[in-house]
Amino acid sequence: MLRHLSCLLGVWGVLSILPAHAAPPPHVVRAVASFTVLADVVAHVGGTHVSVTSLVPPDGDPHEFEPAPNDARVLRQADIVFMSGEGLESWFGRLAHAAGYRGTPVIVSNGISLYTPPGNRQEEADPHVWNNVANVIVWADNIRDALIAIDPADADSFRTSAAAYVSQLEALDRDIRARISAIPASRRRILTSHDAFGYFGRAYGVTFLAPQGLSTETEASAGDMASLITQIRANGVTTYFMENATDPRMVRQVAHATGAAPGGELYAEALSPPTGPAPDYITMMRHNTDLMLAAMRPH
Amino acid sequence: MSGLFSVLWGPFADFGFMRRALVACVTLGMGAGPVGVMLQLRRMSLIGDAMSHAILPGAAIGFLLAGGLSLTAMGLGGIGAGLGVALLAGLVSRRTHLAEDASFASFYLTSLALGVLIVSARGSNIDLLHVLFGTILAIDGPALYLMGGITTLSLGLLAVIWRPLVMECVDPGFMRMSGARGGLYHMVFLFLVVINLVAGFEALGTLMSVGMMMVPAATARLWTRRLLPMMALSALVGMGAGLVGLLVSYHCHLAAGPSIILTCSVLYILSLLASPAGIRAGNSLSL
Amino acid sequence: MIQGTIGLDNAGVVLNGAPVWQHVTGHFAAGSMTAIAGANGAGKSTLLRAILGEVPLAAGTITLDGLHPRDFGYLPQARKIDRAFPISVADMVLGGAWHRMGAFGGATRALRQRAADALDRVKLGQQAGRMIDALSAGQFQRLLFARLLMTDARVMMLDEPFTALDAPTTQDLLGLVCEWHEQGRTIIAVLHDMHQIRRCFPHVVLLSGGRAVWGETARILTPATLRQAYDGMQPRWPDTDA
Repeated sequence: MLRHLSCLLGVWGVLSILPAHAAPPPHVVRAVASFTVLADVVAHVGGTHVSVTSLVPPDGDPHEFEPAPNDARVLRQADIVFMSGEGLESWFGRLAHAAGYRGTPVIVSNGISLYTPPGNRQEEADPHVWNNVANVIVWADNIRDALIAIDPADADSFRTSAAAYVSQLEALDRDIRARISAIPASRRRILTSHDAFGYFGRAYGVTFLAPQGLSTETEASAGDMASLITQIRANGVTTYFMENATDPRMVRQVAHATGAAPGGELYAEALSPPTGPAPDYITMMRHNTDLMLAAMRPH
Repeated sequence: MSGLFSVLWGPFADFGFMRRALVACVTLGMGAGPVGVMLQLRRMSLIGDAMSHAILPGAAIGFLLAGGLSLTAMGLGGIGAGLGVALLAGLVSRRTHLAEDASFASFYLTSLALGVLIVSARGSNIDLLHVLFGTILAIDGPALYLMGGITTLSLGLLAVIWRPLVMECVDPGFMRMSGARGGLYHMVFLFLVVINLVAGFEALGTLMSVGMMMVPAATARLWTRRLLPMMALSALVGMGAGLVGLLVSYHCHLAAGPSIILTCSVLYILSLLASPAGIRAGNSLSL
Repeated sequence: MIQGTIGLDNAGVVLNGAPVWQHVTGHFAAGSMTAIAGANGAGKSTLLRAILGEVPLAAGTITLDGLHPRDFGYLPQARKIDRAFPISVADMVLGGAWHRMGAFGGATRALRQRAADALDRVKLGQQAGRMIDALSAGQFQRLLFARLLMTDARVMMLDEPFTALDAPTTQDLLGLVCEWHEQGRTIIAVLHDMHQIRRCFPHVVLLSGGRAVWGETARILTPATLRQAYDGMQPRWPDTDA
C-alpha cells in the first residue's frame, strides 16, 4: 500500500517542479501523521487520494522524538496534520512552533474515553489508545471526516475506503476477543517492559505487568522494581516481552529475578520497517496477539 | 531492632538486583575514590568532568559497531575516546601556547557533540538517555565482572606506579629531569581516570559517573590531610553513599542513580559543616 | 673529550621569537664547578634548561658525552612545585631515588637510612614526619637539596638555589655544594651573588648582551666586565668570541 503511495508521491513530486502558476488544486492530499501507527491508519482510510508521511520513523518512540530540520519542512508543506493527542506527542508543540506551522492538527483520539491509571504520580491519562481496536475504529471515523472536510471532491472515495478498513478492523477485534477468551482468566498475565498495553488489557481481559511507568521518560527506582518483582512472583508469570524502544537490560533484570524467559518482540507504539513483522497496524495487532497467546498458554 | 535490620538489610537480602547494585557501588567506590583524590590534589577536577563527556563518542561508536548496548564494545570505545582526547589536548598544549585546560575544553566539547550526533543518528533517544544516565538497577553479572576487573586493574596500577605518580603530581619538572619518559606517568594517570569513568558509566551514565569520583574525594579532603587515609576515606564515602542511595531509592521510590550521587553530595555538605577543616576553619586553608 | 664533559658548540636559543644568546661555545669539564652569572633576563636559566634538553636549540649543538638524563640532578626554581600536596618530608626525599625503588614503591632499609642521613645533613632530621606545606621557604629549599643528595647524580644543576635564604642556611648549603664538588661531581649553578661565586666557584660563564664569556672566575669577574655585563653590552675580549 505504502509502495503505491510513494510512487504517487514521486509523480506528484515531478508535477510540483512544473511552473508554479500551472499548479492545479492537489488531487492527492499531503497528510502528515505524528507516528507510524497513525500514519498507517490514515493511509488505509485515505486510499489513493492521500499520501502520508510519518514524523516518528518505524521502531521510533512517539513520546520522545527529536525532530530534524527536514521534519519542519514536511510539516510546513502538509495539507493536513494528524495527531493522536492526549499527551502522547509532547514534542509536537515545539516542532510546530519552530516550523512556523500555524494550522490546527486533527486530534484523532477525540471521542475516545480515556483511562487514567490510579496511583500514577503524574495523574496523566494513558495515551496508548490504539492498542484497543475499537479506538482505532474511532480514529478511522475521525480521519475520514477530516479528509472529507479538506477534500470534499473525494468524499465518496474516502467513505468507501474508510468503510472497507473499518470492517477489517471489526473482524480483527472479534478475532482477538475470541482467541483470548479461549485462555483461562487466571493465565492471562503478560510481563512487558512498556506499559502501553493498558487499553489492550482492559478491552481483551489481559493483565500487563511492567517495570517502568507510563512513558519512557521516568527513570526507575529500586522500590518500583522490587514491588514489580514481588508482584510477578506472586502472579506466576513465565514469559516476558521486550519492547522495541526501551532498555532491554531492565526487562532482563526483572525476568532474571522472576525466572521468566523472553517471548519475542511486541510492537506497542511503533510499526516495524516494511520488512519486519509489523509493517502495518492490523499485522501489528495480529503479531502481538500471537506472541501473547503463546506466552499465556500453559507450557 | 529487627525492624531496623529489615529496613537496612531486607532489600538486599530479598532482591538480587539490589545486591548486584550494591556490589557495583562498592566496586566503583574502591576504584574511583583513590583516583578522585589524586585528581583533586592535582587540581584537575574539572578535567575529570570533561573527560567523562569526552568518553561519549567512543561509547557511541562501540554501541554502533556492536549494534546495541554492548558492554565490551562501549567500554573499549570509551577508553579509546578518552585517551584520544587526553593525548590530543596534551599535544596541542605542547605545540601551541594554549594552556592544557583550554585545548582540553575544546576537544571534549567536540567529542561530546560528536557522541550525541552518532547516537541520535542511529539509535532512538532512549539509547542516548541510557548512555547518558545509566541504569544501576540493571547491572548484571558480566557488567559486575567488568567493573571488578577495572577496579582491580586500577588499584593494582596505582600501587605499582605509586612513587613516580606521587612525585609527578608534586613536582612534574623533577620527574621530567630524572628521565621519566615524557609525561608517561601523566598518561598512565589519565588512563586510570578514563577506565574508572568507563566502569562508572554503565551504572551511572557518563553524566554522573564522575560524581562518584569527585564528591567522595572532596569529602575525604575535609577530614584528613594525609594521602593514604584520604584515599581510603574517599573509597568508603563512595561505598557508603551507594548503600544509602540504594536504600533511599528502594524505600522512597526515587530514581536510583541520582539518589546515590545526591547522597554523596549530602555527605559532602555535612562534612563542610561538621569538619574542622570545613566552613568552621575560617581563613586560609592550606589544603 | 673526556667522559662526562658537557660541551656547547655555537649554540643559540630563541624564545618567543627573540634571540636569547647566540654563538655560545665552551665546555663544562667533568668534575668542574662552574657558576653562571649575568643580569636578569640574560638567559642564565635558559642555559641550564638547554643543557637539560628542556629548551630546544635554534642553532649549534650541545654534547652530553656519555651522560644519561639520570646522571643529572636538577634543582628548579621552587615555585613550580605543588607545596599543598599532602606528602611528608621523608617521602619527598625518598622520591629522589624513585627509579631505584621499582614497582609498588617499597623502600629498602638502606634507602630509608640514606634518606634519613640526607635530611640530617641539611639539618631537617627533626622534620621528617611533617607535611611539606608546614616547612618555611628556607626549610623547603633544604629539603630540595636533600632530595638531590638522594639522586646521587654526577652532574648537579642548580638554578638560583640560595635566593631568599638566610645567611646561615646559605653557608650550610654552599658547604654541601662544595662537598659534592670534592666528591668529583660536576656542578653548574646559576647565581646572583658575586661573593659566593668568587669564594667557591673556580669557573664562571658570564652571559652578557646575548653572548657568553667562559673562563676562570678571577679573570672574568672584574669590576669592568661586570659593569659591562650588567649594562647589557657585549664583552670585548678577542679571545672569548667563538
